[in-house]
Amino acid sequence: MAEQSAYTKKFQKELNAGTSSLVLLSVLSRSTEPMYGYQIAKMLEESGPDIPMMKQGTLYPVLRSLEENGLLESTVEPSVSGPPRRYYKITKEGTSAFEEWFEIWKQTKKFVDVILKG
Amino acid sequence: MFKSIEEYLEALKTEMQDADPALIQDALADAREHLYMALEAKRESTPGLSESEALAATVEEYGLPDETASAYREIEKRTSPSLKRVAKPKTFLGAIFGVYVDPRTWGSLLFTFIAFVTGIIYFTWAVTGAALSLSFLILIIGVPFALLFLLSIRGMALLEGRLVEALLGERMPRRPLFDKPGLKWLERLQSLLTDKRTWVSLLYLILQMPLGAIYFSVNIVFITFALAIMAAPIAQIFFHLPMSTFGDTRIFFPAWALILLEFGGLGTLTVALHIVRGFGKFHGRYAKWMLVG
Repeated sequence: MAEQSAYTKKFQKELNAGTSSLVLLSVLSRSTEPMYGYQIAKMLEESGPDIPMMKQGTLYPVLRSLEENGLLESTVEPSVSGPPRRYYKITKEGTSAFEEWFEIWKQTKKFVDVILKG
Repeated sequence: MFKSIEEYLEALKTEMQDADPALIQDALADAREHLYMALEAKRESTPGLSESEALAATVEEYGLPDETASAYREIEKRTSPSLKRVAKPKTFLGAIFGVYVDPRTWGSLLFTFIAFVTGIIYFTWAVTGAALSLSFLILIIGVPFALLFLLSIRGMALLEGRLVEALLGERMPRRPLFDKPGLKWLERLQSLLTDKRTWVSLLYLILQMPLGAIYFSVNIVFITFALAIMAAPIAQIFFHLPMSTFGDTRIFFPAWALILLEFGGLGTLTVALHIVRGFGKFHGRYAKWMLVG
């Protein structure tokens, strides 16, 4: 990808700030098993290999803030190789938040598309 | 570029040095968990890659230390401990009597009561564990025992941190500190033994007993004293109980003295609650200084 200017980077960052919570909730609401950070990052990478949306490192603070707000819960489990992993699972509150957010997203997307097409 | 994951973590730590120490600890734990796993996967998926290339690609995907640091800072701005968002009272009276509605006052009061009990538990655990670890060292079970004991100290320190954050509103780590992966038992014990934080945590747990006792006694004495002064006029008015007795003489106070006493009690209670809140504030800072950083 071509080198981005500072304001483009900032724009991307601001967009990600809102969408990453939605994306993470969506991934975890579809998963039947609890997932750890790297697994989620890998899955996102595979779903859109050509779209470098966000750095993987930025997912972790978002996961943490979602947990802080009660939308996710987590447990730490030791792993055979390497440091223990933190597994995240969506809560009931998280599922209902996701449904609401998804509605908002659809409306926002529709609105922005209409405006952009002129 | 970075030569190892540890070097990356060091850089991340430097990048975040002005941030809250508890946040730094969380960020390091997340990065460590991810990078070791990602590097391993990168090595397996592309075997031809050299070590430094694999690490560079992993870091590229994870984000450079400054990007990661800013992501944590952004999010932290939006989610700080709930107790912290108390508006500063603007008036003089607000500053004095605001103590009654400040959640930190009641959090501190609860904490000092709990600290009295947890202090005794921590102390017993720490002293017994340390004594047994030392004496077991001549036996074969010595090393695993000492290792488990020191790990339990880390665990208790984290738990205490959660308690401090919940009740005193001081941001504390939400992730445990992990050692480098792949260490053998002896190496792990060595790294625990040489880590300053293990010993400071142990000291914290031991000191928690005298501190808990001091907080508890001072709070109880002041609050009971204040409540007793406030209850005395009520006892005289409604139950006709004397303020004091000298032999057969029963002493009753005139009305104005009762009113004065009531206000005196209220004043003492207010002072007592300020002391309670002060203890909480002090302990929050002290716990952070001892257990984090």
